[in-house]
Amino acid sequence: MFEWSDEHQMIRTAVREFVDKEVRPHREALEHGDMPPYELLRKLYSSFGMDQMAASSFDRRIAKEEAGETGRPTADADGEGDAGGGGMTLLPIIELCKCSPGMVTAMGVSVGLTSAAIMNKGTIAQKKRWARDLLTLDKIGAWAITEPNSGSDAFGSMQAVARIDGDEFVLNGSKTFITNGPFADTIVFICKLDEGNPPAERRVVQFVLDKGMTGLEQSKPLRKMGMHSSPTGMLFLDDVRVGTDRLLGESLDAYAAKAGREASKATFTIERTGVAAMALGIIERCLELSVPYAKSRIQFGQPIGNYQLIQLKLAKMEVARLNVEGLVFRTLEMAAAGKGMGLAQASASKLYAAQAAMEVALEAVQIFGGNGYMAEYEVEQLARDAKVLQIYAGTDEIQITHIARALLA
Amino acid sequence: MNVVVCVKQIPDPSVPGQLEADHTLDRSAKPILDESDSFGVEMALQLVDAAGGGEVTLISLAPNGEVSGLRTALAMGAAKAVLASDDAFAGTDALGTAKVLAKCIERVGDADLVLAATESSDGYTGTVPVQVAELLGWPALTFAKKVDIADGVVTIQRQTEAGYDVVQSSLPAVVSVTAGVVEPRYPSFKGIMAAKSKPVDNVTAADLGLDGQVGWAGARQSIVKVEQAPARLAGEKFEDDGTAAEKIVAFLEDLKVI
Ligand SMILES: Cc1cc2nc3c(=O)[nH]c(=O)nc-3n(C[C@H](O)[C@H](O)[C@H](O)COP(=O)(O)OP(=O)(O)OC[C@H]3O[C@@H](n4cnc5c(N)ncnc54)[C@H](O)[C@@H]3O)c2cc1C
Ligand SMILES: Cc1cc2nc3c(=O)[nH]c(=O)nc-3n(C[C@H](O)[C@H](O)[C@H](O)COP(=O)(O)OP(=O)(O)OC[C@H]3O[C@@H](n4cnc5c(N)ncnc54)[C@H](O)[C@@H]3O)c2cc1C
Repeated sequence: MFEWSDEHQMIRTAVREFVDKEVRPHREALEHGDMPPYELLRKLYSSFGMDQMAASSFDRRIAKEEAGETGRPTADADGEGDAGGGGMTLLPIIELCKCSPGMVTAMGVSVGLTSAAIMNKGTIAQKKRWARDLLTLDKIGAWAITEPNSGSDAFGSMQAVARIDGDEFVLNGSKTFITNGPFADTIVFICKLDEGNPPAERRVVQFVLDKGMTGLEQSKPLRKMGMHSSPTGMLFLDDVRVGTDRLLGESLDAYAAKAGREASKATFTIERTGVAAMALGIIERCLELSVPYAKSRIQFGQPIGNYQLIQLKLAKMEVARLNVEGLVFRTLEMAAAGKGMGLAQASASKLYAAQAAMEVALEAVQIFGGNGYMAEYEVEQLARDAKVLQIYAGTDEIQITHIARALLA
Repeated sequence: MNVVVCVKQIPDPSVPGQLEADHTLDRSAKPILDESDSFGVEMALQLVDAAGGGEVTLISLAPNGEVSGLRTALAMGAAKAVLASDDAFAGTDALGTAKVLAKCIERVGDADLVLAATESSDGYTGTVPVQVAELLGWPALTFAKKVDIADGVVTIQRQTEAGYDVVQSSLPAVVSVTAGVVEPRYPSFKGIMAAKSKPVDNVTAADLGLDGQVGWAGARQSIVKVEQAPARLAGEKFEDDGTAAEKIVAFLEDLKVI
């Protein structure tokens, strides 16, 4: 694959129109105000039938699981389901990122991360109870692993804890930087199981919580550098009592010594591949804005695009665009061939894409000069938004350690 | 209830247009669905839905076997399309277009209603729908801003300068709809994936029995000359020396607007 197919282009055109008509008019409220992104995301889902597609794909998968089969469901006759491939997922990501990358974070954490955690580890009953509504965006999800004292070293320093009390668990701890935390209906809470053993040997377990449970507090959105259209908050758990029905897998047998960590790592891989698509959207938008500006902005009697220093910036942006697009196409090709990127490859892709987006967005600000620093010209927002791609879903430094570890293993 | 919608596939208006040596538009690039026609497509889908059965068929006259605009309308939910495309159609004027479309409608066979836009975005002669109606011998209802069908009767609100007229006719009929008659839906992803496999009946002038009657040979109009629109005049500037109001009034009176 070296270009988008006809169908992909139709999807792109349609989503682009949606973003221009339905999202862009709210950019001010989303990026500088208090407007949460969820109603717009639901409108995106219903306008394009993404909610129905997700529901029927879920139902087919569950029917298969109930029949005792494994593996992903095949597409049905009229091309529904996975036939349009990841393009149906990635193109909305790319196009939304041209206006409000935060919306993608909010959407991705809910329909991608949170539901994936439940689909990977949950029982059929749990999937029906929580994942279907997350996949259709009827419910908003949050996935909580990071804590004030445990970020990159997510498992090692984790303090959130579950204690066994009769046939219940008692959960305690705080989580921070949690996307959708302030508004989430469904929360996957990752913590350690205290069985009286030392913290380093404790099993990592996952629970599903609902908004409003006794002892659960969801903070207001935190003020951040960018990604305003993605509300981020803290979660506080004070003796939250849950039954086994909320333990993903509904049995502690599902959590052999390191299994919990492996499940979370699978989630990291999904997260990382999404970042390349986000980066592509940001880079494409920066080019869309910068090229005409370079042609039309006159200084010293000439368009600034005539100056080689500006040309170098534009050329490097184009190189980044081609490379990141290549990574996105690779993801799609691999998915179509039924292969997933391993953690190291997903890390390499995420590292490159995040750095490229940051560099391109800062250069776009530079090309726009003083205008670039002004909110009206959009590029400053993209630059603030791009920065987080180097921090969440594993910092650049952590991606590097994963790549190096795989190389040196 | 079966509805036929005339859909024009036009050069993308966001790309600067080019003229051919014979003064016609360069149509070599991939065309898009004329936005004006997306309203007719949506109206048709809603009418068929409300009737509880039937289907929407698209018809289009376009060069080079182009289907990309049709695909958009198929993705919105139309069931099938007839595409008239043939080198023999080159140079067809508005009446010729109407002849082709009327033959396509006959070919579809079971239409209860034909919808078109009041005018296309590129040609905008605004003549094709009534010509189609005349050729079929069906009533033409134009400028509809609302369309209802009940008991074999179509009722429209016909947009006028002051408001609207209510106009009714029996079916089958040709109705031209204005932008805003309904809000066109976005094509669903599922619809987009399915669009490629929906049937498109490709027809030539010979298939429609129109050999010699269309194209340059059949055209009664010809484009003699194309000129740049005159540049806007610079206008007149007044420094306000206290008499500006009088000067503006005099200017407007001159234009006979007050
Ligand atoms: C907008 C936003 C949304 C987020 N959403 C979520 C969410 O939904 N759910 C969730 O669980 N978390 C979320 N996070 C948290 C995010 O995953 C963490 O911030 C990230 O993993 C980094 O952890 P930290 O902030 O604790 O930084 P630290 O781990 O304290 O890192 C500080 C610095 O030290 C470096 N560093 C750390 N360890 C090493 C090492 N071994 N070698 C070299 N350098 C090292 C880091 O790269 C970084 O530069 C979000 C964060 C942000 C900003
Ligand atoms: C001399 C001459 C040469 C031309 N040569 C060419 C040529 O080589 N190639 C070419 O593509 N065009 C050519 N055209 C333009 C083409 O013939 C126009 O489509 C036709 O004149 C209709 O005019 P309009 O767009 O103004 O229709 P209007 O009356 O403004 O259109 C009203 C509605 O009728 C329907 N409709 C109109 N045209 C079509 C169509 N083609 N298919 C389906 N529905 C339609 C649509 O619903 C449209 O919104 C030529 C025109 C002239 C006068």
